[in-house]
Amino acid sequence: MRRFVPGRRALLLLPVAFVVVFLIAPLALTVAVSLWQRAGFWVKPALSLAAYEQFVSGARLAVLGRSLQAAAVATAIGLSIAYPIAYALARHLSAAATRTVLLLFTIPFLVNYIIRTFAWTWLLGRTGPVNSLVVGTGLADQPLDWLLFSDFAVYVGLVTSYMPLMVFPLWISLSGIEQRLVEASWLLGAGPWRTFWRVTVPLSIPGVFAAVVFGFVGSFGESAVPIILGGVGYQLMGNAITSALDVLNYPIAAAMSTAVVAVMLLFLACWYLAFDLRTFLGKILRWRF
Amino acid sequence: MKARPAARAAMLTGIGLVLAFLYLPLVPPVLFGAGGYAGIRQNPILVDAVRNSLLLAALTALVTPPLALLGAMAVRELRVPRLVLLVLLLPLFVPGVSMGLATAVFLKLLGVTPSLRTILLVHVMWTLPFAFLVVLAAMATFDPVYLEAAYVLGAPRLRAFLDVELPLIRPGLLGAASLSAIVSLNETIRTSLVQGPLNTVQTYIWTTYLQVGLSPSLHALMSLLIGLTLALVAVLLVGKGRRGRVVTG
Repeated sequence: MRRFVPGRRALLLLPVAFVVVFLIAPLALTVAVSLWQRAGFWVKPALSLAAYEQFVSGARLAVLGRSLQAAAVATAIGLSIAYPIAYALARHLSAAATRTVLLLFTIPFLVNYIIRTFAWTWLLGRTGPVNSLVVGTGLADQPLDWLLFSDFAVYVGLVTSYMPLMVFPLWISLSGIEQRLVEASWLLGAGPWRTFWRVTVPLSIPGVFAAVVFGFVGSFGESAVPIILGGVGYQLMGNAITSALDVLNYPIAAAMSTAVVAVMLLFLACWYLAFDLRTFLGKILRWRF
Repeated sequence: MKARPAARAAMLTGIGLVLAFLYLPLVPPVLFGAGGYAGIRQNPILVDAVRNSLLLAALTALVTPPLALLGAMAVRELRVPRLVLLVLLLPLFVPGVSMGLATAVFLKLLGVTPSLRTILLVHVMWTLPFAFLVVLAAMATFDPVYLEAAYVLGAPRLRAFLDVELPLIRPGLLGAASLSAIVSLNETIRTSLVQGPLNTVQTYIWTTYLQVGLSPSLHALMSLLIGLTLALVAVLLVGKGRRGRVVTG
């Protein structure tokens, strides 16, 4: 058995310490700042719930509601697109085709989603190709106004930003399902539809949950998409936080950020307690622990 | 079970449509950037921004992979692999605004003024989970029995690592480096909250958009960033191809 040299253990813990000091501690500090008071351009220590009172009493509560709704809709749409794709890849397509398709999903995801989101302002605009097509084919008499600067546009932006990321955990969990369980279900007389809902879907829940975490947490805290595609005054949590920062209201920005992080932690805690991260990553972690 | 040809064609068509929907937004910057390339060199702010972006991408590619490697080794060797996994994947889940705000407040309370170093800190944090997953995947193809063999033959730990493990996982580390550079080059929101007076190409595009809207020169910049990202993806794929040979050869 290998022995642990103290220096070696410290070295191995370096990345963990890095995240704890420069991310977890700052996030905890944000919670503290949300309880502090404004003082000129900055904050001073206090124990005040003023920021949270402002948060739940003003228009910002509506922002919270709209963010929850946008995140839920974007996640549901993303899941309904990503699940069939992951299912087809895991069950019906060859390994070579799967590799190519997964690679093709990675590439647009790597290009800054803000750049990709800008493009929708032209694609969905009054004089853009979508409206030209709609008017040109006679589907409508005049350009559709609701395509841009609307809930619809924001959902398009959120789905294209976060859906590619959802395919991967779904594919990992679907391709890890023991094929014999599916065959057993057929032998016992269940049809394809029933087998899908009673065997495949329940066994793919860890992947579904991971995909929901990616989609929901990403959309919920999103700040650029509502600015670009929502139009003037369209606020979700992310850009409401940046506009609070623009007027140097740190406590309210910290309070809203804390709410976003709390939702994320809730999801992660459920994930951590309910599923073993290692089985989720089982495809790439084949070694013995 | 393999699908019948008709079903297979239907599936590939559906996937093709979704992919078209995802690739469509990469086209407009190229269409509208035509007249904008010439102005880039004449704008001193932009020249600085380009330099900062490239420098940050290079530094992130140097700093993140070793950190990711240590993290992956910690998952393999420490008693709490699940906890290490969770902590190192956390930056992936913290929304950009929250990460940027938390870091900005933290640095301000410590009295640290924004600089390239503070931006680098945020970039390393954000790229760490991506690099970590790539290194984990590379290490999973390595059998620890080789290390045991080296120990039995009398090699000290460092020597066994340098002579046995490192050559086998090097393609994974190179992949982690190019992925870190790609993710660093394409980051906006986190950077914009700790940038201070400095600019990267991405924050320049973002603040200019917020102030005056899109222009041919912004589209030209976006086309260049898309081109550079695709070039780095090609580097990543070449490295991956080499790793495939190592495993099979």
